[in-house]
Amino acid sequence: MNNLIIEETKYTPSINFDTQKGVFELIGKSYPENTFDFYKPMMDLVEEYFDGEEQEITTINMEIIYFNSSSSKLFFDFFDLVEEAHNDGKTIEINWIYDEENDSALEAGEDFQEDFENLKFNLVKK
Amino acid sequence: MSDNLSIADRRSKNRREEENTIHDNKLISEIEALKIEFEKTTDKLIKDVRRQDKIMARSDKRQQKEYDELQRKFAEVEALQKEIEETQREVVFTMGAIGESRSKETGNHVKRVAQYSKVLALYYGMSEKEAEMLKQASPMHDIGKVAIPDAILNKPGRFNQEERLIMDTHAQLGYDMLKASNRPLLKLAATVAYEHHEKYNGKGYPQGLKGEEIHIGGRITALADVFDALGSDRVYKKAWDDERIFNLFKEERGEHFDPNLIDIFFEHLDEFLSIRDSLKDL
Repeated sequence: MNNLIIEETKYTPSINFDTQKGVFELIGKSYPENTFDFYKPMMDLVEEYFDGEEQEITTINMEIIYFNSSSSKLFFDFFDLVEEAHNDGKTIEINWIYDEENDSALEAGEDFQEDFENLKFNLVKK
Repeated sequence: MSDNLSIADRRSKNRREEENTIHDNKLISEIEALKIEFEKTTDKLIKDVRRQDKIMARSDKRQQKEYDELQRKFAEVEALQKEIEETQREVVFTMGAIGESRSKETGNHVKRVAQYSKVLALYYGMSEKEAEMLKQASPMHDIGKVAIPDAILNKPGRFNQEERLIMDTHAQLGYDMLKASNRPLLKLAATVAYEHHEKYNGKGYPQGLKGEEIHIGGRITALADVFDALGSDRVYKKAWDDERIFNLFKEERGEHFDPNLIDIFFEHLDEFLSIRDSLKDL
């Protein structure tokens, strides 16, 4: 299965999804102009991955510094996919990485953690 | 037979009723299936709407935080800017005072010259910003004096020719000291140091510039400096009284000094005297 590597830009995060290792990383800011278009490759990959191509353990590392509202919706949809896979019995761990100084990031992580109680959602201080 | 329907008819009717019942059940189950689908869909829609609301609420909260953060940073920047400007002002004055310190001029002399320069500049027509910059640049006009030997700098009597020439190099020296910087303030200070001994009639030094060739900063500082020097005690002379100073200025209008500046000086004499008074040496 293919990997996905997208470089960080001023407004969008770096995306590094290694399907071989089962490690997915999302690092940076998320202010894309068209959120749906930007994240489509990632969402497609994730759907395909969990459709039988997944590793034993999948680790998702998210280090999002700032994100706009449409990104928020996108992350919800992303976690929906993850939750679906989890309900199918797959082993997934999510690490929400935040900087001590960044209150917003911590709060966002806490919110998502609460929204998706069933998932193994860790808040990791950088 | 007393029945309304024959047996055949009754059978037929029964059959039709059965068919209707089956038909009803099929319709009912279709409707019930629809009902289930509908509930699933509306549940999902409700979930989506709730989620949207949540996202909005969180977004609003985040924006407020970001706004506060921005305000905080703006305030920080403003404070820093003020600090920098204040520091610059003080450094500049200190430099000026240093330049004058060996010849035992006071810090107030530097402040007076600065203030005279600003007032002259404003009345001459310079903007507040330009005048303020000249106020900060002109105190450094004699910085070259730090390189003049004590024996000459503090000689109580008149100079001989050799001593005169050496003393006069302080203009070039000051320029050399200040010209290296590209900062507008220091470039102006370098020019003022260089040209504050030029004379309107071209008989000044070091370059012998004439009239408007002399930078306005140089012409202004020349007047401000001489006014203050004449009105103060020095190693080599006592302070002149005001009438003597004013006569000299009238004589030197157009000669040593820019005639426009002399006119401005007399037009606003009270202001200059008031400055002199408020920044008197202690």
